[in-house]
Amino acid sequence: MLKLKDFSVEHILDNVSTTFDIGKTYVVMGSNGVGKSTLLHGIMGRPDLNVSGEMTFMGSDLSELETDERARLGMFVGFQAPTSVPGLSNFQFMKQALNISGKDIAETLRSFKEVSAKLNLPDNWDKRNLNTDASGGEKKKNELIQMSMLNTKLAMLDEPDSGLDVDGIKALIEQLNEWRNDNNTLIVVTHYQKLVEGLNPDKVLVLKKDGVLTGDIELADKIFSQGFESV
Amino acid sequence: MYKNLFYRETLEPTNAFDSYYTIKDLYDYVIGDNTKTKDYHHLKHKLNNFYDGYNNNVQYITETGLPNTKSEQFNHANLHKLYNKEILWSSEPNAKHYLADLEPFEQVAFKKNTLLFNDGMVYPSNDLGIKKPFQLQILDQIKVNRNKQDEYVKLIRKTENFSNFTYAFSPFLNTVIVPSGANENFMKNPISIQYLNKNSKGILECNTNIIDIQYKTKVHLKENVKLQSGQMNNIIYIVRENSELVIDRITNDYGGFGIFDSKFICHPNSKITINFKNTGSDYYQENFYFDLTTNVDLTLNGKNNIYKGHEYHQFVHVDSRSSDNKSIIDIKNVGNENASTSFIGRFDVSPNSVGFDGHMKNENLMLTPNTKMHSRPILDIHTKEIECTHGCTISNIDKSKLYYLQSRGLAKDIAEDVLVSSFLC
Repeated sequence: MLKLKDFSVEHILDNVSTTFDIGKTYVVMGSNGVGKSTLLHGIMGRPDLNVSGEMTFMGSDLSELETDERARLGMFVGFQAPTSVPGLSNFQFMKQALNISGKDIAETLRSFKEVSAKLNLPDNWDKRNLNTDASGGEKKKNELIQMSMLNTKLAMLDEPDSGLDVDGIKALIEQLNEWRNDNNTLIVVTHYQKLVEGLNPDKVLVLKKDGVLTGDIELADKIFSQGFESV
Repeated sequence: MYKNLFYRETLEPTNAFDSYYTIKDLYDYVIGDNTKTKDYHHLKHKLNNFYDGYNNNVQYITETGLPNTKSEQFNHANLHKLYNKEILWSSEPNAKHYLADLEPFEQVAFKKNTLLFNDGMVYPSNDLGIKKPFQLQILDQIKVNRNKQDEYVKLIRKTENFSNFTYAFSPFLNTVIVPSGANENFMKNPISIQYLNKNSKGILECNTNIIDIQYKTKVHLKENVKLQSGQMNNIIYIVRENSELVIDRITNDYGGFGIFDSKFICHPNSKITINFKNTGSDYYQENFYFDLTTNVDLTLNGKNNIYKGHEYHQFVHVDSRSSDNKSIIDIKNVGNENASTSFIGRFDVSPNSVGFDGHMKNENLMLTPNTKMHSRPILDIHTKEIECTHGCTISNIDKSKLYYLQSRGLAKDIAEDVLVSSFLC
């Protein structure tokens, strides 16, 4: 689904080459500052990152595409600290993102309320301003709603567990497991063992300053018990 | 001006040619600086053939004062551009065109609760024209009513802005009185007020009106300003004791320019709420002056999206003269490409204004590097026991927000529009 070859971000990442296959789940780990978030946002095309190398998504060369064009291909990045936009309601935002009108609006609102209820968000969540006056956990849940409702084929989530309480983590795992299927791909950056266990990823990638280490869930277990120095 | 020069029999015969004057020419003529006035004799000849009401206005204004170009209120306001606006002084109106222009005016008659102001005239809808208890009282052409004149003309005071200039070129002073007996009728059924140009480009039309909200009355005005040509409005709102006034004003540009001066005389225990939106124009000033007596509750909310190449300048002056006044000024401006905006807000808090609670906020969003935006808060406070804050900002579109919206599939231009809308929300 997504192929990186000699993918570099100036001053942060050097020559990362890896493939993320369709129908698989990946966990990305690494010590602080090694470039995990930069990897996700570099793939998504954040304008201030100076990126080089090759990136292809479902056969499309990403290098010339704007962020919104990548999103419309089915790529989604979940932010570690989602941006707030006062004056724009959560549902208005979804309407804009889905570019819907007419009868579709009522149906989309119904789906929106269904997902937000499943994540234990307040009844009026659709009317609340986008990530404004919301707790860290609520913002993360909002990212999940967007991921579920947009036509996401590749979800890249940056520490989706941060700020979530125990029930929130449980709901997050349930939501992600429900979303996963043979036609999409999930990449999760996390430091949280419960999440890794709950997702049971196909592969674990460890970003290091001198390259990328790849393994299965046992690699993650080793890091959780002995630290990054051990790998 | 157009109408009044040619509409009445007493005016100059239509025997000559079209002339153009700049506003500066008219200004110089009114202040009596004949040496600067272009084609002074021709202008004098035309104006002297105007009707008496106009000459009275000019005489009054020359005695009391006129705009001062050195006035700090407008030091960002590009007055040079305004002064050089050309005004067509047509000598021979096109009769067919004139009749066609009347159409939107005629339609007012069949609307409800509607007043239309144009070049010193007031056109009420039929329902407002019916004389019955607790209805509006409309004193049009008040210059011919000596008794009322003395009461209301006193309110036209010397200022350092263009209000007096507007008055000098208004054919009449019109007054709309909302009687106490109306109670909340005009809050439940808002009055629609239209400021329209009758003519297309090149004509200057002026209105000087007084809207008098009498005691214990609540009124909601929905004002709609359409700038098709030059339009200068000088409106004085009197909000008497225990009354409430709500104004929703929308100004749209159709290729014109103008100045809208709004003065509020706020009696004790009155409440004023104003919400306004503006797109700017080739040149536009929208100014608010508030005289607060005591225990006045004032809220002014502006959300202006100034279009490409437009100008929009604003002066807000709150003069608190006695105790326990509350004032919230919250104005947001968006400047598109090559737009130019300025905001100057001023709180004058007198020594008697104990308990004044004032908050002034002006937020500006610059969409391109070619946009010019100025913001200047002035707080002149002469007493201690008050609460007063101000915050003025000028910023660009937040790139992190733009990226966030784009990452959800919104194209860049749509994402920018969404952020502008949310800023103004």
